[in-house]
Amino acid sequence: MLEAKNITVNYGPREAVADVSLRANPSEIIAIIGPNGAGKSTLLRTLNSSLRATRGEVLLDGKPLQSLARRAIARRIAVVAQEADMRFPVTVMEFVLGGRYAWSSAWGWESDRDVEIARGILGETELESFEARLMSELSGGERQRAVLARALATEAKVLLLDEPTANLDLAHQATMLRLVRGRCDKRQSAAVVVTHDVNLAAEFSDRVLLLKNGREIAAGTPREVFDPELLRAVFGLEVLVDAHPITGAPRITPVYVMSGKL
Amino acid sequence: MAIKSRQSNDSGRATPGRTLLICGVLLFLLAVIFVIASVVGSQRLPLSASLCALTGKSNCGLSPEQQAILFDLRIPRILLAGAVGSCLAAAGAGYQALLRNPLAEPYLLGISNGAAVGTMTALVFFGAHEWSRPVMAFAGALLATLVVYRLARGRAGATPERLILAGVIVTTFLSSGIVFITTMMDATRIRSFTFWLLGDLSGTTSSLLTIGLAAAGIGVGILALNARSLNLMMLGERDAFDLGVEVGRVRLTVFIAASLLVGASVASSGSVGYVGLVVPHLVRLSFGSDNRVVIVASALAGAAFVIVADTVARTIIAPRELPVGAITALIGAPLFIYLLKRG
Repeated sequence: MLEAKNITVNYGPREAVADVSLRANPSEIIAIIGPNGAGKSTLLRTLNSSLRATRGEVLLDGKPLQSLARRAIARRIAVVAQEADMRFPVTVMEFVLGGRYAWSSAWGWESDRDVEIARGILGETELESFEARLMSELSGGERQRAVLARALATEAKVLLLDEPTANLDLAHQATMLRLVRGRCDKRQSAAVVVTHDVNLAAEFSDRVLLLKNGREIAAGTPREVFDPELLRAVFGLEVLVDAHPITGAPRITPVYVMSGKL
Repeated sequence: MAIKSRQSNDSGRATPGRTLLICGVLLFLLAVIFVIASVVGSQRLPLSASLCALTGKSNCGLSPEQQAILFDLRIPRILLAGAVGSCLAAAGAGYQALLRNPLAEPYLLGISNGAAVGTMTALVFFGAHEWSRPVMAFAGALLATLVVYRLARGRAGATPERLILAGVIVTTFLSSGIVFITTMMDATRIRSFTFWLLGDLSGTTSSLLTIGLAAAGIGVGILALNARSLNLMMLGERDAFDLGVEVGRVRLTVFIAASLLVGASVASSGSVGYVGLVVPHLVRLSFGSDNRVVIVASALAGAAFVIVADTVARTIIAPRELPVGAITALIGAPLFIYLLKRG
């Protein structure tokens, strides 16, 4: 579906991402984790060519992204980024309809089908009662759900999410990822999620890519990647890994006490 | 006066039908204002006879003198006021979307000053060619736009502080240019220039009127065609890009269209301030933020606003006149302060 081959991104002489490859398959969620400055977001931005890779290429259904028009890419790859600015009074419906931009004429109006799709998504994300509310009136969790709703409204087969759960409380974090999981299962979509939350990654992702200093340290299933030795080497922090008593997914617990005092 | 959510099932969403309705209402309002403005003035004209004459009939009972006032003085001036209002209000809406800030306004950003420097340069150096004024005004506006955009834009769009600072810097820099050019003029022209700089519609000529109306039509049309893209760009350029907007192309197009609008209005009537702030703000308050409505509705409401302001300017201390810019600033500056404090 979406395949990144040997991506290198330079910021000046510095390599923010160095020779990383990644492949997103239908119905799969891939988590990209790693310390701050590991190049996670940079890698994500190259996946819809909003950032050009210095070397390497990204293929969408076998075709290089460079050969595709902006709108064609936007119909197939959607992005959930950090919050948009809300200096203008925009309703939730108007905001979510923005996701239909690439499907209808750039200078005209949304079709009835566009509105229907947006309504459906609002239902899916439990925002239907907020349709006429202003984005600026929503709580952080509701707003982030609206940002996800706009991305889902594109009906793109690939979702790219950049820390979709940052600043959200526990319940909203779970809701966000459950919605992404649901979309991937139902429509054979693929999602690539950059996150700092290793436990959410362990719970919701099928594969994990662990980066440090722009390089791939490990890639594989959560069980393979969430290894205490590996995590200590990458994050410089002692961690405990056991199995979640209910789901069986790896559970990562940081050990905040100095190792000498244990 | 926080903006409340708009109700009803369709949530006040902009649709072609709703936009047409809004434009229809505004057009009707504009027509009423047009008629009132054409009879009111230092010499009042009879309403029914003037209405009759406006429909193109002769023998309406207007004296030749009244006929001349109506057709040679008032109507060209009202049309120019309308064109200038349309230009400035639509340009304001365009700049606001592009800079992602409802405080952006051509006069406050110094873009009108850029156009003024262009116009004055044309007057001093190519005075013989009337067409050189709007062309140079356009060039000046475009240049000022690019500079302000560079200065004002941070990573998260233009914050109010950054925007205002950029505007102040560009304005003061260009003001020194204006002063420099003024010193090269003879004393008799300086007074009319001071008026013109504040925004003045009394110097209407037929070619300026043609240019103003044409620029308003073309510029507003181009902005309106980019309105859907601007809807996304005003919430973040990166998101807009991700959603399929060709951000670079839209930005350049809007820059050029907005500069054309400001250039045409400044070349004919100087820097009428705050129109681009007041009008789009009221339009958003009434009809929502969708630029497909905001731009066209601002153009119509802007025409009405400047016609009213100019009518006040030429009647309030008749037979003497105020520059129209003094009236618009009197309304605009307090609103600006209010918007700034509200954040």
